[in-house]
Amino acid sequence: MIKAQHLNVKLSGKSILSDLSFEAQPGHVTSIVGPNGSGKTTLLRAMTGDLAYTGRVEINGRDMQGQKPWELATVRGVLPQASALAFPFSVVEVVNIGLQGGRSGQSSTVASAALSRVGLAGYAHRPYQELSGGEQQRVQLARVLAQIWHPVEDGEARWLFLDEPVSALDISHQLQVMNIARDFADQGGGVVAVMHDLNLTAMFSDKMVLMANGHIKAAGPVAEVLTNDHLSSAYGCSVAVNQTPNDPVPFILPQAAVA
Amino acid sequence: MTFFNLNRHGLIAACAAIWGATLGVPSAQAEAADTLSIGGTVTEIVYALGQGHRLRARDTTSVFPPEATELPDVGYIRALSPEGVLSVGASLIISDEGARPVEAVDVIRAADVNFVEVPQGYTIEALSRKIRIIGKALDVDSTAEALISDVTKDIEEATAVAQASIDEPKRVMFLLSARGGKLTAAGRGTGPDAIIRLAGGINAVNAFEGYKPIASEATLAAAPDLILMMQRGGDHAANADELFEIPALALTPAAKTKALETMEPLLVTGFGPRTGEAVRHLSQILYGN
Amino acid sequence: MALAIDADLVPVDRLSRARKLHLLLFGLLIFVSLGSLTTGATGVALMDVLWKLLQGQELSQVERIVLFDIRIPRLAMGLMVGASLAVAGAVMQGLFRNPLADPGIVGVSAGAGLGAIMSIVLGGLLPLAILESVGRHLTPIAAFCGGWVTTILLYRVSTRHGRTSVATMLLAGIAIGALSGAATGVLTYIANDAQLRDMTFWGMGSLAGASWGKLAVAGPIMLISMGGVMFMGRGLNALALGEATAHHIGIEVQKLKNLAILAVAASVGAAVAVSGGIGFVGIVVPHLLRLGTGPDHRALLPNAALLGASLLVGADMIARVIIAPAELPIGIVMAILGAPVFLWILLRQRGVVDL
Repeated sequence: MIKAQHLNVKLSGKSILSDLSFEAQPGHVTSIVGPNGSGKTTLLRAMTGDLAYTGRVEINGRDMQGQKPWELATVRGVLPQASALAFPFSVVEVVNIGLQGGRSGQSSTVASAALSRVGLAGYAHRPYQELSGGEQQRVQLARVLAQIWHPVEDGEARWLFLDEPVSALDISHQLQVMNIARDFADQGGGVVAVMHDLNLTAMFSDKMVLMANGHIKAAGPVAEVLTNDHLSSAYGCSVAVNQTPNDPVPFILPQAAVA
Repeated sequence: MTFFNLNRHGLIAACAAIWGATLGVPSAQAEAADTLSIGGTVTEIVYALGQGHRLRARDTTSVFPPEATELPDVGYIRALSPEGVLSVGASLIISDEGARPVEAVDVIRAADVNFVEVPQGYTIEALSRKIRIIGKALDVDSTAEALISDVTKDIEEATAVAQASIDEPKRVMFLLSARGGKLTAAGRGTGPDAIIRLAGGINAVNAFEGYKPIASEATLAAAPDLILMMQRGGDHAANADELFEIPALALTPAAKTKALETMEPLLVTGFGPRTGEAVRHLSQILYGN
Repeated sequence: MALAIDADLVPVDRLSRARKLHLLLFGLLIFVSLGSLTTGATGVALMDVLWKLLQGQELSQVERIVLFDIRIPRLAMGLMVGASLAVAGAVMQGLFRNPLADPGIVGVSAGAGLGAIMSIVLGGLLPLAILESVGRHLTPIAAFCGGWVTTILLYRVSTRHGRTSVATMLLAGIAIGALSGAATGVLTYIANDAQLRDMTFWGMGSLAGASWGKLAVAGPIMLISMGGVMFMGRGLNALALGEATAHHIGIEVQKLKNLAILAVAASVGAAVAVSGGIGFVGIVVPHLLRLGTGPDHRALLPNAALLGASLLVGADMIARVIIAPAELPIGIVMAILGAPVFLWILLRQRGVVDL
C-alpha cells in the first residue's frame, strides 16, 4: 500500500502541498482529480520521488526515503505526462529500456507482450520518433508495464503511477489504457492515476481523491466524492452530476462505449 | 661552454680562413650529402659557405637560394615529424634554436644524429656566431671565418654608406601582414628592426618587441614615411593602392607618396649573409644614395 | 492478460547486430594499427623487422628507434586519444540528450586550450624550480589542469541542491568558451612569433609529440576513464527518456552525471593535453554508429572506442605520409575528413533532428 503522511512540498519557495495525507490500496485504481494547479501532479511527483518533500511516504510499508532508485524501480513504474526521446530508438528498444529497470530482465517475450497489450503489436521495429503522439504515449505505457510486468511479485503488490495517461488519446485508446490500468489493479497491483476526465475516472476508479488548492477536498469511493457540492466547490463552477443536458447538442460518454 | 671554445678556436683559425678562402681548398667537395638544414638563415649560410651540395633536405622556411627549394621539405621547425626527419637519413642536422616538439628532437638525438642548434639573433655578432657554429658543424671552420669577415665588412660598409646619406632620418614600418585591414607590425628585436636601423631609418614601431598586431591609432601616431613588407605575388602598384586604402594607413606620410617597398622575405627578416645587400637596398630606397 | 505473441514479431535485434559490429571494428582496428606500424617516411617495414626478430638478427638503430620510439608510442597514443574522444563524445551526447554535443561541451577543451596557451606564452615567467621539475611537460600538464579546473567550475555553476542542470552547463560552457577565447586573444598580443606558431600548431593537434613518457602518464587516465564509462550504457539509454524517467527506471541520475562528467573531463583532458586540439572524432564517430546500428549505448560505447581509435590512427597515417618527410597536423586531416561527413549527416538528418 502507498501511504503519505504529513506531506509538505515547496516549489521555488512556494508551498504547494502542506500537511497532506494520502492512501492507496493494492487492487484499487485510485484517481487523483481536481482543477488545474490544485497540486495533483505535485502530489504524484512527490510520491514517485521526483520532488523533494518533508513528511513520510511509504511504499508497501517501506519508507521511500533511503531507498535506491533501482530498489524503487522494481516495485513501481511511472508513466509521465509527456516524454521526449533524445535518440532514434525503435519502439521495442524503448520498451526494453523499461524492462532493464524492472525485475523481468531482458526478456523479449515481455516486451512483445507489453506492446500487444497496448495495441501496438506490429510496431516493435518502427522508429519511436515517427509515431503519433498517442502511439508514443502507449509505447511509454508499454515500457512502464514491462518494468513491472507482474502486478504481484513475491506476495507484494507493484504500483503503477500514471500522470494523465489518456490526455493525448482518442476515445477508444482512452478506454484501452484505462482497461489496462483496471486489469493491473484487478490482478492485485495498485494504480495511482492523476486524471482530468471525470467520466473515465468514475468508470474505472475504486477510489477518488479530489484536490483543490493543495488540499484534499474529498477522498473515498467514487459515489461519495463525485457529488455536486464537492465538484462545484473544488472546480469553482456549478456542475451537476448525472444530469442530462436539455440542449440538442450531442454528448458522448465513455460509459456508453460498447466493448 | 662551447661558444667560448668555438670563439677561441675561431680566432685561431681566423688567419687560416683567409688562406683557405683565397686558395679555394676544395676540402669538402667530395663529401656526401648528409645534412639536414632547418631554418631559412641556416640554409642560406650553408649555401654561402659553399656547402649547398651537402644538404639532403631542408625545412619549409628554407627558400633561398632557389635551388634549396628543390630539396625535400621536412616541415616547419616548430612542428617536426620525428620519422620524417629521420627518413631523410641525415647524419648531421643543423637547426635554428627552438625545434619542436621536444619529443621528436629527443628521438632524433637518440638516433645517433649529430644535432646542432644555432642560436637566434639579429646583430652582426649573432650572425657571426651562427656562421661559426654552422662552419664548425660542417667542418669548414676556415671558410666560415672568411665568410664572417666578408659579411661583417659588407654590412659595415653598407651601414657606413647608409649613415652618411641620411639627410633627415626616415621612419619605416615593417608590416608582416595587412590582411583584412588588420596590421601586424615588427617591433624591437626583429630582423626588419635591425635592417631598418642599419639602413639609417627609424623603426616607427618602438613600443613592443616582436611581431604584434598594431592598433589603428598607434599606426597613425607612428607616422611611417615608408611601409616595408615581404614580397608576395601580385602587382606592386595595385598592392600599394589597396594597402593605403586601409584607414589606419591612409593618413600616414607614407600614404601621400604611396611609399611601399617590398623585399624578399628571408632578406628582410632573416638577418643572414645577405644583410649588407638588404641594408644597401633599403637605404637606397630611403635616401636615394 | 493477452500474452499471445505474433511469430513475425521476433525482434530484428539491432543490439546483436551492433555487437557483431564489435568484431568487424576490431578487425579494422588491427588492420589500421598494422598499417600504421608499417607505414612511415622511413622505409622501415613491420614485416622486415618481425622477420629479423624471428631470425634473431640485430635490428639496425634506425629500425629500432623508428619502431619502438616513434611508431609504437605514436600508435598507442593515437588509439587511446581516438577512443577517448569518440567515447567521450558519445557519453556527452547521451548525457546532454543532444546528438550534436561535443566532448568539449563540459568546457574541458576550452579550458585545456587556455591552459596550454598560457603555458606556451607565460611559462617562462614561472619560478625556475617549477620549470625545472616539470620542464618540457609543462604544456600537457597545464592543459590537463586547465581542462579540469574549467569542468569543475562549470559543474559548480550548474549544480543546485545536488542536481546538475545540463542545460545550464551547456550555456555556461558557451560563456566559458568565450572567456577562454578572449583570454587566448589577449595572450596572442603578449606572445612572440615562435609562441604564436606554437599556439597555432597546438590548436591543430598532432601526435608527433608521442613518447613513452607521455603515454605512461596520460595512458592510464584515458584507459581508466574509458573503462569506467563502458558501464554507463544502460544509464545513458534510460537518460534518453529524460532524467525523471531514468530515475523511475532505477538509474541514480545524479551519480551517473557526476561519474560521466568526471570521466569525460579526465579522458578528454588527458587526450587534449598530449595531442592538442583534434575535433570531429567525438561527433562524427557516434553519429555514424547510430546511423548504422542504432543508439543503444551498451553497444555504441565500445563501438565508438574501436571506430574512434581506428579513425584517428588512420588519419594520423595520412597526416604523416601525405607530405613526407613533413607532416600535416592531424587536426587538419580530421577536419578535412570529418567536416564533409558531418555536413552529410546533417543533410541526411534535416527535418528529423529537432534542434
